[in-house]
Amino acid sequence: MKNSSHTSPPKLFSHLYIERSVLDHPQTQMIRAKFGESQVIVIDHYKEVFNRPSQSFAAQSRSKKLILARKEGKFLHEGSQYSDGFDHKQFFYASSVMGCLYDCDYCYLQGLYPSANTVLFVNLEEAFVQLLPYLGEDTLVATSYDTDTLAIESLTHQTREWLAFAEDHKHLHLEIRTKSANIKSLKSIAPNPRVTLAWTLSPQEIIDVYEHATPSFEKRLSAVEEAIALGWKVRLCVDPVIYTEHFDSLYPKLIDQIFETIDPNAIEHLTLGSFRMSQNHLRALKKLRRSDVAFYPYAVRDEMVTYPERIENTILETLLSKALVYLPQERIRTWQRQL
Amino acid sequence: MIYIIAALDAEARALVDYYQLKRDSALPYTLYTNERIILLVSGMGKSNALMAVSALLGWKIPKNTDILINIGICGAPAAYEIGEALLIHQIQDETRRYYPDILYTHSLRESPLTCVDEAQSALHDAPVDMESSAIFQAASRFFKLHQMAFVKIVSDHFAPETVSKEGVVELIRSNLDALDEVCSALEHVQSPDTLYTEDEYKEVERLKSYFTKAQGSALDDALNYFRLKHPTMPLPAYPDIPDSKRERKRALEELIAHLTA
Repeated sequence: MKNSSHTSPPKLFSHLYIERSVLDHPQTQMIRAKFGESQVIVIDHYKEVFNRPSQSFAAQSRSKKLILARKEGKFLHEGSQYSDGFDHKQFFYASSVMGCLYDCDYCYLQGLYPSANTVLFVNLEEAFVQLLPYLGEDTLVATSYDTDTLAIESLTHQTREWLAFAEDHKHLHLEIRTKSANIKSLKSIAPNPRVTLAWTLSPQEIIDVYEHATPSFEKRLSAVEEAIALGWKVRLCVDPVIYTEHFDSLYPKLIDQIFETIDPNAIEHLTLGSFRMSQNHLRALKKLRRSDVAFYPYAVRDEMVTYPERIENTILETLLSKALVYLPQERIRTWQRQL
Repeated sequence: MIYIIAALDAEARALVDYYQLKRDSALPYTLYTNERIILLVSGMGKSNALMAVSALLGWKIPKNTDILINIGICGAPAAYEIGEALLIHQIQDETRRYYPDILYTHSLRESPLTCVDEAQSALHDAPVDMESSAIFQAASRFFKLHQMAFVKIVSDHFAPETVSKEGVVELIRSNLDALDEVCSALEHVQSPDTLYTEDEYKEVERLKSYFTKAQGSALDDALNYFRLKHPTMPLPAYPDIPDSKRERKRALEELIAHLTA
């Protein structure tokens, strides 16, 4: 080849695959205007792109495309055993986006989806209709379960729509979990005491190695600080903890760093949990051969992989004893497998 | 290795000259090769393309860093200029659609393409060719979607009778830079998914042969963990494998503990 010049990766969402049925949806129009230079490819159904055989998740991660679609069927699903429902009577997660802008080596989405591209279901209004029958009693909805909704808020405005909906329904609680530093999107919205913003925080050394394309620890912490100042209810999550060399210094130091900046009384909870995943998802992760996280000799119990009990206990004891310096036990939540 | 698929001798002619390819008689198809390129002339139409590409890839199974490019002429609506090179992002064949992944920047115009059964004089909304869907179907058994590209040069505005052999040679010749650009970009986004050198791989397989399948799989995981965690470090020296089953099991446990420490 005479032309050997290396090309830079394309811009984010260089290609928009749009279902014919949502071409005229207002959100589609807004996104098309925002990504005016992107190629627009009209499709009949998102699965013909998202579920193609022979995709490379790893290669696509370096050049993500956006698929705009209409969700058919259920937006809401029962919360899983891997997550905390915070004792709410009903716990759902909403699946309005598939795929995530961030690229974390330990993320189960790599095992769940055949594609690293993002599917945005633009008909969020139908999620609200589906949720209405449940809102006679206390209900928690996690809005950023299969994605990081705040990371793409400027594109989707879905968080804004969820918050407006929650404002009108007094039994509805929302959890918006994120690694994003995008607090700007929330500045014009009045905080709702039934909405918890939950930030995942990791040592910068772990972010550098395992949490690709995510904001730095410093930026996340600034966003937390700002959210608290704006009056939002905030939960912090040191979860999942990755057991690695210097674990016993990295994570205690992280907790110190957090509470040097954040007043412990200003947060609702601190959640601690070690890495865990369904065995099926881990199998898929191994096939990608992208990260050492996939190949640790985990223990398997009831189709769930976790660190061996001794290590899992070490992780929780180490973090818990440090967290107790700042918070009473009742405001620390831990994830541990059921024995 | 770059696998180039063209349907016609006239499409291949300029490529043979440009890349200095030599005729290769390894298959009952027209084939030209050099040390980096295999050029297959599949013949016209979907059936010919499907059979020829399947034969080629079954004979020379591609590696995960190899790429495949289908280059050829197409008819197109008047909005496309004669001689323009298009990079195809959607291939439609009746109700089926195929999507190569374009994970690189390039300067070509992107376009959908309709794959039809015969040369078209009737107007279509999109450019048309006669092989792409079959090439995609056969090749996607061997290549990932980001390893393939479909480059089509507009030869006519649905007036196939105006296309001559000499014209086709010239159309391809005048777009060799575009082909080079796509090849280079496509090669750049490929990355090997093997974690070991050939020698390391042999040694790992030898070591695994002492163990049961389940033990070998656990060892594989531990070695992958070590290599991904410490990409620049050589794999540690392997211990002598004891004869006794019990001692062998213990040696394996020690090795795994060492690799994943």
